[in-house]
Amino acid sequence: MIYIMIVAMGLVVFLNRYLFIEPRLPVRLNRGAREFLGFAVPGMLTAICGPIIFLADHQLNLSPANPYLLAGISAVALMFWTRNVLMTVLLSMALFYLFRWLL
Amino acid sequence: MPTALPHYAFARGAIAVIPLSLACAPWGLLAGSMAIDAQFSPLEAQGLSAIVFAGAAQLVAIGMVKSGASLISIVLTTLLLTSQHLLYGMHLRPVLSPLKTRWRMSLGFLLTDEFFALVSHYDRETFNRWYALGVGLTFYIAWNLFTLAGIVLGKSIPGLDQLGLEFSIAATFIALITPVVRDVPTVVCVAVSLLFSVWLSFLHWESAVVVSGLLGMSAGYACKRLGVGQQ
Repeated sequence: MIYIMIVAMGLVVFLNRYLFIEPRLPVRLNRGAREFLGFAVPGMLTAICGPIIFLADHQLNLSPANPYLLAGISAVALMFWTRNVLMTVLLSMALFYLFRWLL
Repeated sequence: MPTALPHYAFARGAIAVIPLSLACAPWGLLAGSMAIDAQFSPLEAQGLSAIVFAGAAQLVAIGMVKSGASLISIVLTTLLLTSQHLLYGMHLRPVLSPLKTRWRMSLGFLLTDEFFALVSHYDRETFNRWYALGVGLTFYIAWNLFTLAGIVLGKSIPGLDQLGLEFSIAATFIALITPVVRDVPTVVCVAVSLLFSVWLSFLHWESAVVVSGLLGMSAGYACKRLGVGQQ
């Protein structure tokens, strides 16, 4: 039963991933579509971050003392400052735990 | 750089994805230990990561199995939860669709949020399939090893989901988003996407990520078309 579920889930996920890569699918991307898709990185990755930061443990937390929010803002500043992904991730993780411990 | 040596490009991709792989460690551990906790056999738990290979969908599916949900509702939820990959596929179509079938299928299978974050900025001239394979395969192996660790440790990691480890994902994506936010339309895109992702997730929409991402992208695109923020 679990194996049927795993295979069915695997097929569905692969379908989502593969569909638009298939060359026989008759889709041609014009300039407008390409411009639209240019917003995919900021749009989609932000949509993944939003709930992590403001809905930790499924509770809405809009307080400025939210450690996820403070550390997230720190990550933006660190990225501007260091221009280094790994450094930004490590330092903002450290700050996150510091804020959680302090607040 | 299409002329670069395959093993060199592969190694470059593998190295580039290391920070993201480490950021996903807590999720991989969780995917393994939660599956064991929900009475999956170790082989089933590993199979989930090996075949489905989609963190959020795996964790949600495990939760649904635990609460006795039907197969149909689990598969439909998976379809909605992973629908952002349709957009990734469309975005990467110019570089991936001309490849040979076995490359297309392999890279398609390995197309995750993290793969997209690292591969999306290459165009047809600069794209290297070996680099993409390095990114995807390294991430796949890391994800499965962390799942295995989670299975082995099983219930001996108490309260793993309460440690706030998911911040590592947010931190990584913030680090990837920040450098591309350079004009007003992109700021609007990020703001709209952020607002809706929080609101729709709060309302428990299963398609919150893809819907809010699309709304953000549309808002950014509309601003660009209207010439907002241009001198």
